[in-house]
Amino acid sequence: MTRETEIRDALRAWIVKTNGKIQPDQLDDETPIIERRIITSLQVMDLILFLEKLSNRSIEVDTLKVGVFKNINAIYNAFFASVIE
Amino acid sequence: MSKPEDALNLGSLDGFRWLDNGQSALSGNLLDLFRNLDRMFLSWSRECNASEYRFPTFISARDLARLDYFRSFPHLVTFPIVLKSEEENLKRFSEGSTLNAEGEVTLTDIRGVRDVLTPAACYHFYVQFQGEKLTSVKHVTTRANCFRREAYYLPLQRQWGFAMREIVCIGTADEVKEFLSRYQDRCERFFKRINLTVEFQNATDPFFNPSKNPKYILQKLDPVKTEMVYQTGLAIGSINFHRNYFGEAFQISRDGKEAFSGCVAFGLERWIYALLHHFGFDQSTWPRLDSPEEE
Repeated sequence: MTRETEIRDALRAWIVKTNGKIQPDQLDDETPIIERRIITSLQVMDLILFLEKLSNRSIEVDTLKVGVFKNINAIYNAFFASVIE
Repeated sequence: MSKPEDALNLGSLDGFRWLDNGQSALSGNLLDLFRNLDRMFLSWSRECNASEYRFPTFISARDLARLDYFRSFPHLVTFPIVLKSEEENLKRFSEGSTLNAEGEVTLTDIRGVRDVLTPAACYHFYVQFQGEKLTSVKHVTTRANCFRREAYYLPLQRQWGFAMREIVCIGTADEVKEFLSRYQDRCERFFKRINLTVEFQNATDPFFNPSKNPKYILQKLDPVKTEMVYQTGLAIGSINFHRNYFGEAFQISRDGKEAFSGCVAFGLERWIYALLHHFGFDQSTWPRLDSPEEE
């Protein structure tokens, strides 16, 4: 299993667990997690903490760009892709 | 928001009276303009066969609390209050110094507050439709006098009490997004016809203590509000995607899933301001508001 797959799986598992209602097969890498409120505004702060832990670096909320939490692909590209490549 | 130099000399305008409590009175040509604008918005609402509703001035505090309103917007809220009805209390009030030098009422005992003066027209719809299981998309419209306490007021631009017309869509995510895009296009065609410089800009709701509010942070990262910003910087309307926030809070479903919703909102006094600022006070220069065939 590649590091990328591990990260995507970890993201999916965290989202499924945090949401509490959605099944893993209902969540692909393009599913809009904010628009569908799979992750709510209150959970976004927890998501940021989780991403800090997973990426092992701190995240400055003020520097985040529009769309970074749109779906798993967007999260992966924003916080992990450049580090792994 | 407009700079002070953009303030119009409304004192010289017939049919306008500004009140110290952040509200305005309209008559004559200005009242005609108000009515014609609302008639135009109503005709736009018919393009999606929206049903019209008329709601009362108050909305229950219990319902607003379900939207987390008091935590998000405590600085905007206005409450209607009444005295406790015990005779002794009423007597004490009526025989006391009912008004001080600043014009403030000297209150005696107040009954518990259970209502709020409507802060946004569309909230009434989610209360109205709570628990409904929709099998088709729903389009509705209403105009309400809305109340938002502000740090300062400016005639027509920032008022404690103002009129808001909203057209609302409740349905699936795709139905709501299509509705919002159609109405943005509708407004753009109108602005183009009358040559009014209005830009559509991402915006956020005016949250209390925004930097500490996750809802604000999320709105910055995933914009759901687009404002119609007139050239002076004044937002005269907005296009809002609520996701399924109201559907969840009020258990409204669409085909078995929590319904999504969105609205297009028009602040009537602000539209009047933009038209007066752009076209001047002479009614003969104002654009026609009833020519959809030209758009």
